[in-house]
Amino acid sequence: MNGLANNFSFYLIISAIMFAFGVVTALSRKNAIGIFMGVELILNAAALNFVAVRLFQAKAALSPTQDGAVFALFIIIMAAIEAAVALAIVLRMFSIKRSIDPDKMARLRG
Amino acid sequence: MMTTNTCLALWIPVFPLIAYFVQAFVGKKLPRMGDWVSLGAIFISFLCATKILFSMFANFNPGWVESWHFTWLDLSSIKTPFKLEIGVRVDNMSAIMLFMVTMCSTLIHLFSTGYMRDHHGKPADGYRYASFFAYLSLFTAAMLGLVVSDNLFTLFMCWELMGLCSYLLIGFYREKVSAANASLKAFMTTRVGDTGLFLGLVMLFALPLANGQALGSLRFDDIYAAIQGGFFNFTIGGFNAATVIGLLIFCGTVGKSAQFPLQVWLPDAMEGPTPVSALIHAATMVAAGVYLILRTFPLLEAGGILTFIAYVGAITALLAAIIAIKQNDIKKILAYSTLSQLGYMVMAVGLGAYQASFMHLITHALFKACLFMGSGAVIYAMHHEQDIRKMGGLRKKIPITFACMLIATLAISGVPFFSGFVSKDKILVAAYAFGVIANPQHFFIPFAGFLTAGLTGFYMFRLIFKTFFGEPHDHHHYEEAHEVSFNMFVPLVVLAGLSFSVFFTGSLTGGIFGESDFILGGANNWFETLVTNASFTAGHGAEWAEHLHHAHIPGMMFSLLLAGVGIAFSYIVYGAKKVSSDSLSKLWPDFVHKAIDNLYYFDWFYIKILIQKLFMPFAALCALFDDRVIDQGAVDGVKDVTQVVKDVAGILVDDVVIDGVLVDGMGGAVPAAFGASLRTLQNGRIQRYLLVAVAVLTVVLLWRGL
Repeated sequence: MNGLANNFSFYLIISAIMFAFGVVTALSRKNAIGIFMGVELILNAAALNFVAVRLFQAKAALSPTQDGAVFALFIIIMAAIEAAVALAIVLRMFSIKRSIDPDKMARLRG
Repeated sequence: MMTTNTCLALWIPVFPLIAYFVQAFVGKKLPRMGDWVSLGAIFISFLCATKILFSMFANFNPGWVESWHFTWLDLSSIKTPFKLEIGVRVDNMSAIMLFMVTMCSTLIHLFSTGYMRDHHGKPADGYRYASFFAYLSLFTAAMLGLVVSDNLFTLFMCWELMGLCSYLLIGFYREKVSAANASLKAFMTTRVGDTGLFLGLVMLFALPLANGQALGSLRFDDIYAAIQGGFFNFTIGGFNAATVIGLLIFCGTVGKSAQFPLQVWLPDAMEGPTPVSALIHAATMVAAGVYLILRTFPLLEAGGILTFIAYVGAITALLAAIIAIKQNDIKKILAYSTLSQLGYMVMAVGLGAYQASFMHLITHALFKACLFMGSGAVIYAMHHEQDIRKMGGLRKKIPITFACMLIATLAISGVPFFSGFVSKDKILVAAYAFGVIANPQHFFIPFAGFLTAGLTGFYMFRLIFKTFFGEPHDHHHYEEAHEVSFNMFVPLVVLAGLSFSVFFTGSLTGGIFGESDFILGGANNWFETLVTNASFTAGHGAEWAEHLHHAHIPGMMFSLLLAGVGIAFSYIVYGAKKVSSDSLSKLWPDFVHKAIDNLYYFDWFYIKILIQKLFMPFAALCALFDDRVIDQGAVDGVKDVTQVVKDVAGILVDDVVIDGVLVDGMGGAVPAAFGASLRTLQNGRIQRYLLVAVAVLTVVLLWRGL
């Protein structure tokens, strides 16, 4: 392993960049799938943090738990389920409004 | 410990994968739309595979295994043993398989550079030319990954990836409704089998074995060791564990290799471009199902389901061969013949003749890829005409294609000196030994096997006679037909060259011609020597070798005789036209014709009965439940309750107390301003909500942090 991969903050920086990209994507996109992709980025940034923490915990032999890995697994599973539901919603949205701009879905606004 | 060979094996799937990403992102902008990227990548893989093949010959040891793995996920502190180790495994079987797959794939990539262009050399489908090569690369990467896997986990991942590529490539002409439907059908049908396979893998991984511990690994070495230790001697719901898991894994093969009763998707898959049919639906992906049961052979053996597998294969082989006789689409004939040959391979595994099965897998891949590309060349020369009734006399117009297809047809029909003879002969001998000598109650297996051999010769030569001999039926197309270009006939010539038996029968130790068996292909050839695993006995006792020996001569005689009769009959009917085919077909009663024309009503049963009568009403019931109970009951019920509360609260509380007393009492200005400012927040735009949430979170974090 080279120095970069051994550096804990390297992982955190990557994760922070991913998170920032995700937030910007989710906030600025004008179509639901784009927003959804932004949310996925945010989730994966969190997952990256979890596995990085687990890796360095194990290395430092602080507490050899696997919680981080399990949490990352849960995030992946949840993201997969979310993808299925979100895409179904987007499909319905398109068939009702002929558009996937979330701003157009404001029928419930009083 | 990583050796040169494992390192190469690790890289072999990576090159096409890189090519896929290059093609997917920048393929359209590259010169020639990047077909050279895919072709070059797979060619590098081919060179690596050649190196591994030479190491295999240098070692020449049936037990040669080099493997390397690492721990991908280690959760053993939560649940022992829970460790997912993935890696690569190079042994004789995977070395031969790697060589075959990379070579076929390279040649088919090369063929595609001609086939996917029109007669002026322009890509026929515009920018989709680039995505075609991207899909081909991804598929090849997945197939190679499957072959080098040393565990069922990555094998399953690649397996599913191939399913996806198959879907994309069958539906490549997506503007055609039939192609779109065919791709969906292929995907959904194989999904049925894959569900079983996945269940089998989960059981294998997680169920506590006879020694009280779960296996917790999907590596082949661990699985083999557990079987050797007899750890599968426990029951799941009253059935032997190895039987249940073995059957579930075999489900995957039934789906992927299109075995009875899930064979319906493969003929429809011919909607894809012809190189795809050659690569995926003849040479590699469908063979992956057979490769899976070859890899998990000890498990199937321990489960005692080999005879069942042999029956499935025999039924597939026979049913498909019968349909092939009545087809008129050149690609459909080849599709049914592929089904039939896959049935042979599965049958051979079931008979315990796994060496013969693997050999047939390799020889079949080579000559079937040649046949498919030959049919592609015919279709290309005939300007996308696929009906053999409209062809005829083409041997003068496209002599090279004709010669190559003739050699491959001789191979598939089992004529001596060609590769198909050696491998098919071994399967038929095993069938004879099993069903005639050892267990006469299983007479159906050799019966189906030998009958299929005769039918194969008949329908394959029917194709040859109708396409290349006789009078042309469509003069316009015939006059325009011309030999295909260089990049399209070179693959044909190479594959036709490899359809000779000499490559498979030499013993290497005694020189290629050193063995007396080199024509008939006895047990001393290098192929069988290397692939034989002494621990795979298939439950056969010591007398099995004796049976095989006794079966050799009659089995071979029968197979030669039947193939000869099939070919001769084909010549009489379609070559010399002494007997008209109409009078032949009148010999059979109407219901036989109807059953064959309707493909034994499998599609009818699946679509009209299973889907329309069973699944659709069930789906409608679920939709009704969703609509009535969830939407109208729960959701609208809450709405109704809210409405009542609102009405009551609105009149009582709002009008009287709030409006009447508080607002009017306090003067409406302050609440109105407050409300107006809050209203902008509740604007129904989710991104605005999100922005507020992020802003608040940022503020809170900053405040807490500072």
